[in-house]
Amino acid sequence: MRTTERTTVPTTNPTVDDRGSSAECERPSRRSFVFFAAAAAAALVPGAASAQAPRRRRAIVSAQSPEPSDAFPMVMPNESVGVFAEWDSSVGRLARRLSYGITAGDVTQANALGYDGYLEQQLNYTRIDDSLVESHVAQTWPLLTQTSDQLFSANQGTLETQLRESTIYRAAFSQRQLYQRMVELWSDHFNQDFDKVGYLLAADQRDVIRKHAMGRFPDLLKASAHSASMMVYLDQNTSRSGAPNQNYAREIMELHTLSVNGPYTQDDVAELSRVLTGWTIQGRGNFVFNPAIHDWNAKTVLGVNIPAGSPSLGAAGINEGEQMLNVLATHPSTARFIATKMLSWLLTPAPTDDQVSTVASVYRATGGDIKAMIRVILNESWVSAAPLKLKRPFHYLVSALRSANPTIAALTPLTNQLTTLGHPIFSWDTPDGFPDKIEYWAGNIVPRWAFGTTMANFNSTTTVQLDTSPYRAGSPDAAIELIDQNFFGGEMLTSTKTALTAYLKAGTFTDARVRETIALAIDSNGFQWY
Amino acid sequence: MDEIHDADCGCQEYNELSRRQFVSSAAGIGAAAMFPAWLPKIVMSKNFASNRDVIVSIFQRGGADGLSIVVPFADANYYSSRPTIAIPQPDASSPNKGINLDGFFMFPQAMAGLVPAFQAQDLLVVHATGQLNVSRSHFDAQRYMEVGKPVDPSLVTGWLGRHLASIPPLDPTAPLRAIGVANGLQKTLVGGPKTLPIADPTNYTIGGSTTTQAARIAFLQNEYAAADEPVHSAALDATNTIGLLKAVNFTGYVPANGVVYPTSSFGRALRSVAVLIKNNVGIEAAQVDIGNWDTHSAQDPIAGSMFKTMQDFSNSIAAFYADVVTTGYPVTLVSVSEFGRNVRENGSQGTDHGRGTVMFALGKGISGGRVLTKNWPGLARENLEAGQDLKVTVDYRDILSEIVQKRLANPNLDFVFPSWSPSFLGVTR
Repeated sequence: MRTTERTTVPTTNPTVDDRGSSAECERPSRRSFVFFAAAAAAALVPGAASAQAPRRRRAIVSAQSPEPSDAFPMVMPNESVGVFAEWDSSVGRLARRLSYGITAGDVTQANALGYDGYLEQQLNYTRIDDSLVESHVAQTWPLLTQTSDQLFSANQGTLETQLRESTIYRAAFSQRQLYQRMVELWSDHFNQDFDKVGYLLAADQRDVIRKHAMGRFPDLLKASAHSASMMVYLDQNTSRSGAPNQNYAREIMELHTLSVNGPYTQDDVAELSRVLTGWTIQGRGNFVFNPAIHDWNAKTVLGVNIPAGSPSLGAAGINEGEQMLNVLATHPSTARFIATKMLSWLLTPAPTDDQVSTVASVYRATGGDIKAMIRVILNESWVSAAPLKLKRPFHYLVSALRSANPTIAALTPLTNQLTTLGHPIFSWDTPDGFPDKIEYWAGNIVPRWAFGTTMANFNSTTTVQLDTSPYRAGSPDAAIELIDQNFFGGEMLTSTKTALTAYLKAGTFTDARVRETIALAIDSNGFQWY
Repeated sequence: MDEIHDADCGCQEYNELSRRQFVSSAAGIGAAAMFPAWLPKIVMSKNFASNRDVIVSIFQRGGADGLSIVVPFADANYYSSRPTIAIPQPDASSPNKGINLDGFFMFPQAMAGLVPAFQAQDLLVVHATGQLNVSRSHFDAQRYMEVGKPVDPSLVTGWLGRHLASIPPLDPTAPLRAIGVANGLQKTLVGGPKTLPIADPTNYTIGGSTTTQAARIAFLQNEYAAADEPVHSAALDATNTIGLLKAVNFTGYVPANGVVYPTSSFGRALRSVAVLIKNNVGIEAAQVDIGNWDTHSAQDPIAGSMFKTMQDFSNSIAAFYADVVTTGYPVTLVSVSEFGRNVRENGSQGTDHGRGTVMFALGKGISGGRVLTKNWPGLARENLEAGQDLKVTVDYRDILSEIVQKRLANPNLDFVFPSWSPSFLGVTR
């Protein structure tokens, strides 16, 4: 974790999922609680009940265990949100799972390719021509390709802005949607905070995360372990023989590989920190092994004996650490942890033991091939049965940007919005990365609604301009249809469509009213989920 | 204490009743029905409404080094363990010398802001405290500290959320009972009714035209009426809270006693909480976080990184104390951290993850002006846990339990802290 000065520290997220045994009805189960929540609430809102009641959801088996006492009503976290009845196409569901939000164009393309064809197209991402996006990125954010030696003298604020804006842009407009989603996952898995590591982060994003996002996990892990940025972020660069720093040694086991469930002990943390002494940086930010500060005495980590070495071995002292990276990368706990993480990210907040075992076995069989794991995770049967996930703010913002598809001269207002939404990428200060938990994000809803207003009202030729003339070219009903196509891939919730149409028609059909209607579409319940 | 109701209803019926009650109160109607006719076996103090403190719960995230915050200067092992980062003794000539509290413990200069509260006996320090369960993982240790029960992955609600759920609202008409001053809801508050994370209460609006705002909010209320939990409740509570916060004047707020809050995010958060408390909007609990305690390197509690963090912590709380506590508002403030740090410093002028640390409790109902310890274990190597850490001799739940029962008037401790039999240590007056 970081130690530099900073005043805002968000809460953290545990790495263990919150699942337990299934609920018994001697206690009020969450599922029945949620059911009555909907029914009772609908009864209180005039006009809502009739539209809402019938459209309820295929059942999702609750993975939530009861609280030890359910004597009192509580708003419980919910990992089994049923799918909207309108979302009945499995290709559409796949598109939502592997993209930052579907548009009419995505639906057309996915339908043409079919379920498996679409998945394979996204898996083989290097064959997707993304040159338009990449050339725009290269022109607009030129610092991204510079080395750490060059970036040392760059303006740090400019660099952070370029990292953020280019990440938003790629997520929104790259044709390689699944790849961009995986970049986000690994950026959180190997989280670093720009406020601590500064310009070093650019090389980490480029040469670690983006290089290996769809490759083999062991390669990703090893690249991260040789990243100057990671060395600085977790204080590894200050560790030395005789007084090792345990920060990186702990987190590489807890957060990057084995998980907090281990098996590792405090002794393993201490011993691994000794193994890694000498892993540091030199110059303006290049990884180096420095044998002069390496602890050459014998160590035992996770039952692996590393015999005493000698300073005469020099640079070969790095092999102790490389050996342990291999141990970690091939450990069955790592296979399960990475399987759980990828399942939680791509499929469901509460993967079953069977799902974890299946994906972990793919990890072991393929040497941690990320594509092979995704292929299994996103199989049609699992995707069709998966509950909904709540978009995190970055996902929400990017999906609105994809759907609105405005003319962009500068992305500045959108990076500002990420901060307002509580999801300023590259600024989560603790090494667990931004949470992906519904109970964390659900309450942060007013900033989401405010964002919808902001997004729909972008009308600046110097930054972001949303042209509403296509929406006003026909009738109000045609405007709603276009919103449905652009923002929901033609699967807007029926109740939302009714209410949105009523809202639009309740005023005069002006630019302002259309923008308000688009804002409400972005704010609507159906747009928060994927 | 009276046992006022006993309902032993069937599962489904129970849910229906409880939910309806909950929703009606959330919508701001049915206040008269708020007396819990449906609650099974709730026990409450007769005078709960008139004798309950608001609680401000602070989490020092990252594992705060209690040995730098409240320093056991009379233990020579402190100085031998920390050759580069120790605070000079109170009788030293250095301007960086500590501030003697009781002849054994001292504050560093960075904590000077809290000396008045300590001297007024409103500030209690608890030392060698934390979690009995051993975890040196930030994320596991924070999680289990916040849920209030160790190593039970099935428990997902927080202790403060369960407190709120197990006691009637202070004000049944209040749209917002608890606030997490954060972008996302802290685990401490998960499960609490009418509880929202609000990072910036001064700007809580959906924006756009004021002419159409009411119609747009009505659209959203309708839109989310059938949303799944916890989004449903969040949306309903949020729409009700927009109006509440709009009516509160945050920017023009003038604190009492000429107090100036630090402009740090922690200082601003406590200022916002003070405004809510003083505006009497029915807020009962606030969760506020302060980070930067993970001092693996360049810790420097005398002038550097940790000095600044401690100074922000102490000055912000001191401002809140002078503004809110000394002016008679019934408030208890309590702080925790997931663990302390190694007694011996590492090679980076920092300290790695340890065990025992300090807690603070502040309020007119707190028996303060002292450093509470239970068989202070000392810093001699043979007395350290695993040969490296200050032992945990007081479970943090003992401190919180006494506050929940005696200051928050909630006797349902077995619900708030499941499977824990607390010992009251005289934390409250």
